[in-house]
Amino acid sequence: EVGELRVGFVGAGRMAVGLAQGLLRAGKVPASSILVSAPSEKNLDTWRESGCRTTHCNLEVLQESNLVFLATKPHILPHVLLEIRPAVGPHHIVVSLAAGVSLQTLQRLLPTGTKVLRLMPNLPCVVQAGAMVFALGSCASDREATLLKHLLSSCGLCEEVPEPYINIHTGLSGSGVAYVYLFAEALAEGAVKMGMPGGLASRIAAQTLLGAAKMMLETGEHPAKLRGDVCTPGGTTIHALHQLEKGALRATVMNAVEAATNRACDMAKD
Amino acid sequence: MSVGFIGAGQLAFALARGFTAAGILAAHKITASSPDTDLPTVSGLRKMGVNFTVSNKDTVKSSDVLFLAVKPPIIPFILDEVGPDIEPRHIVVSCAAGVTISSIEKKLSAFCPTPKVIRCMTNTPVIVREGATVYATGTHADVEDGKLLEQLMASVGFCTEVEEDLIDAVTGLSGSGPAYAFTALDALADGGVKMGLPRRLAVRLGAQALLGAAKMLLESDQHPGQLKDNVCSPGGATIHALHFLESGGFRSLLINAVEASCIRTRELQHLADREKISPADIKKTLLDKVKLESPSLSVASASKVSLFNTKS
Repeated sequence: EVGELRVGFVGAGRMAVGLAQGLLRAGKVPASSILVSAPSEKNLDTWRESGCRTTHCNLEVLQESNLVFLATKPHILPHVLLEIRPAVGPHHIVVSLAAGVSLQTLQRLLPTGTKVLRLMPNLPCVVQAGAMVFALGSCASDREATLLKHLLSSCGLCEEVPEPYINIHTGLSGSGVAYVYLFAEALAEGAVKMGMPGGLASRIAAQTLLGAAKMMLETGEHPAKLRGDVCTPGGTTIHALHQLEKGALRATVMNAVEAATNRACDMAKD
Repeated sequence: MSVGFIGAGQLAFALARGFTAAGILAAHKITASSPDTDLPTVSGLRKMGVNFTVSNKDTVKSSDVLFLAVKPPIIPFILDEVGPDIEPRHIVVSCAAGVTISSIEKKLSAFCPTPKVIRCMTNTPVIVREGATVYATGTHADVEDGKLLEQLMASVGFCTEVEEDLIDAVTGLSGSGPAYAFTALDALADGGVKMGLPRRLAVRLGAQALLGAAKMLLESDQHPGQLKDNVCSPGGATIHALHFLESGGFRSLLINAVEASCIRTRELQHLADREKISPADIKKTLLDKVKLESPSLSVASASKVSLFNTKS
């Protein structure tokens, strides 16, 4: 099935680039099997450099591909759907990346019976360390779920979820990547204050986050336990953690996830 | 084996009650003494069948294990008073917060070359046999002496040996801990009452919830964080409540509390070591009664009491 796969992208922006690069790096799909469309030349150079085929015609993507990723900006998507609708058939698998556009809307604007899925990736898909969730539309089945998981696991973690979890994923991981950057920046600044050069501090901060995350994923242990393991009685770590607790870091992070999730829900209603 | 308590207040009462309820000691094998017979705990001890006396010396004579169950500033007076009666068989157990083994040994060495001293930090739930106790053994206390104390204290809860320098931290955590719990329970009950529960039921349910949670943790290998997660259904009531706790800095408040109690314990110890506790801290009537029993005791001046008078 994967061998007959012809992958198309409507929209050539960062998210699409990220997914495509993930697919290519993992060797799941040859570049020649990928066709991308965009209104202007602006985004298409990177694609061509990777060996993908490009076009300015959205309909062509539908005609040439059986697995189509819709990667336009959310407010443009409804127009694009109406445009491509005539070319959509029962053999297509349509995967929308658009934040805030529900399966219900997608199914309403596409022919009845179309296999539709919604995917919410995050930026680190580009380096094959993404976190992605997807939800099945009413005509999509386990087959499509398995195919998508198989293809995208090369880009990182990929799980099927009920649609309501997608907005939560946005708050946790879509936007969450930015929280991590903020934290990393702050860590490095602390180090700079204590006398370490910024470049070095930054690299160490990033590696610290990477290492900690890797331990969480590989040991499967509860983060509270992993945290306790680092805390020698009366040592440096527990002193530092006390500062974080005094600053109510936990509640603030919860607030952030909540705010982003709520915003995703609100935007979906617009 | 007989046990004696110098002091007949909350601690003596709690331990005596615990030991007798555990069946490890018969009441008539316990003696408690205090010059102050008006303490409410005195009648409680009497009712239990404990031998009560106003003479600390009598307590020493009739005990093998001698608990010093008085407030820290009183310890030096007690040691001066009963020092002459301490024999090699005695195991002197001090429960006074912030009073070091070395300060006790120093005092007693005036009377006895190798006093067996054990320092202990326990807490009030020994009264219901759910105490948390740690002990550190002094220079001349043997392993068997420690084990003997451990056996006694294990009958009223958890007991383990630690290095002496950890005892202040233990004070901050489990010494003061029941007070934090009582405060939390009072507030939880308020929450229940606010939402419509009768007070008695609210108190009962709150206490049972904490008891049950503590028991689960003690009987589980799991981290408390994991146990917490197990209670939090996605989007449910509990996680909403926890968010409030986090916003209020709940965790850091508890860390602060343990730290404050530990630091204060150390401060009091330093104050004692530097002999800076004023006689105003000690009831004049109590001081007079102690002086009656031990005329050799000297009080240095009106403004400052020297806590570590050596016999001249």
